[in-house]
Amino acid sequence: MSDTIRLEKKVLSRNDMLAAELRELFREKGVAVMNMVSSPGSGKTSLLEKTLGSLSETLSIGVIEGDIQTENDALRIAATGVPVHQIQTGGACHLEAEMIRRALDHFSLEDLDLLIIENVGNLVCPSAFDLGEGIRVSVISVTEGDDKPLKYPSMFHSADVMVVNKMDLLPYTDFSVEKAVAGARSLNPGIRILETSCRTGEGLDSWSEFVKEFTRKQVSGV
Amino acid sequence: MHELSIAMEILEIVEKEALKHGAGAVRKVRLKVGDLSGVETDSLTFSFDAIKGEKKLAGKADLLIQRTPARIRCKPCGADFEGRSGFIVSCPECEGFDTRLLAGDELEIVDIEID
Repeated sequence: MSDTIRLEKKVLSRNDMLAAELRELFREKGVAVMNMVSSPGSGKTSLLEKTLGSLSETLSIGVIEGDIQTENDALRIAATGVPVHQIQTGGACHLEAEMIRRALDHFSLEDLDLLIIENVGNLVCPSAFDLGEGIRVSVISVTEGDDKPLKYPSMFHSADVMVVNKMDLLPYTDFSVEKAVAGARSLNPGIRILETSCRTGEGLDSWSEFVKEFTRKQVSGV
Repeated sequence: MHELSIAMEILEIVEKEALKHGAGAVRKVRLKVGDLSGVETDSLTFSFDAIKGEKKLAGKADLLIQRTPARIRCKPCGADFEGRSGFIVSCPECEGFDTRLLAGDELEIVDIEID
């Protein structure tokens, strides 16, 4: 005799609950949190270095680096003088809320305005895991296909911002910014688009301004 | 390959619920997976079957997956549509982007069948 038990339970409810707790903690402590996602090699770490360069004098920033192996990215960030903690997932293709909770032991949240989480380079898996962030930024570069948003819909659907990076290389590629933007908007009508180049500095002012404004709003709770 | 973490989480939840309900074994696990959830169902089934043997009650359970397409509502038109190619959420009528997602991002255990 078999019985059917209705559960209607979200599979990732444990991660979601923990993420909600983290979000509340960040709100209490007045820390803005940004989760940066992209495929490997889009320039997340370079963008981060530039961001820290221009903002770390006015904002107190901490960085959590997620990678499968190595501390290379953390070393690059540490060179900017900003507190950083590296999470080595040891094979896991994404960060989970529990990993963030443990990483917080390495920071003094009271002293931070902004915590930036650089997720594992992967456009699929990180999209399913809420980390308690206030904003999710998806970085793509013009050396990738302009159909990336359509190929990886869940990532661009869940992002608040799409940064199109390596704009200096645009003349050498067949990448259509228009097409990439249209793709992202068809999945996520409200997504904000910023274009940057870490080499020439194009768009970095607007990006820094955006990060500053986001932090100000989160910290003041407006 | 986050399907493995998801399979582990499913088995964890199922095992706990089965124990709570005094089950002898779990026969079936019915799962709803939205097209926008970012989950690859073949890979999830593979992962589930590969690791279920560790579980006392769910060790022989079958995973039954029901895919759900994205459903959107166009705010200006007020009409409901299915997302094109599963996940394009702009309005097929007016091509507008002012839409709201009604369904399609779920990843949910609907029910379990136990002995």
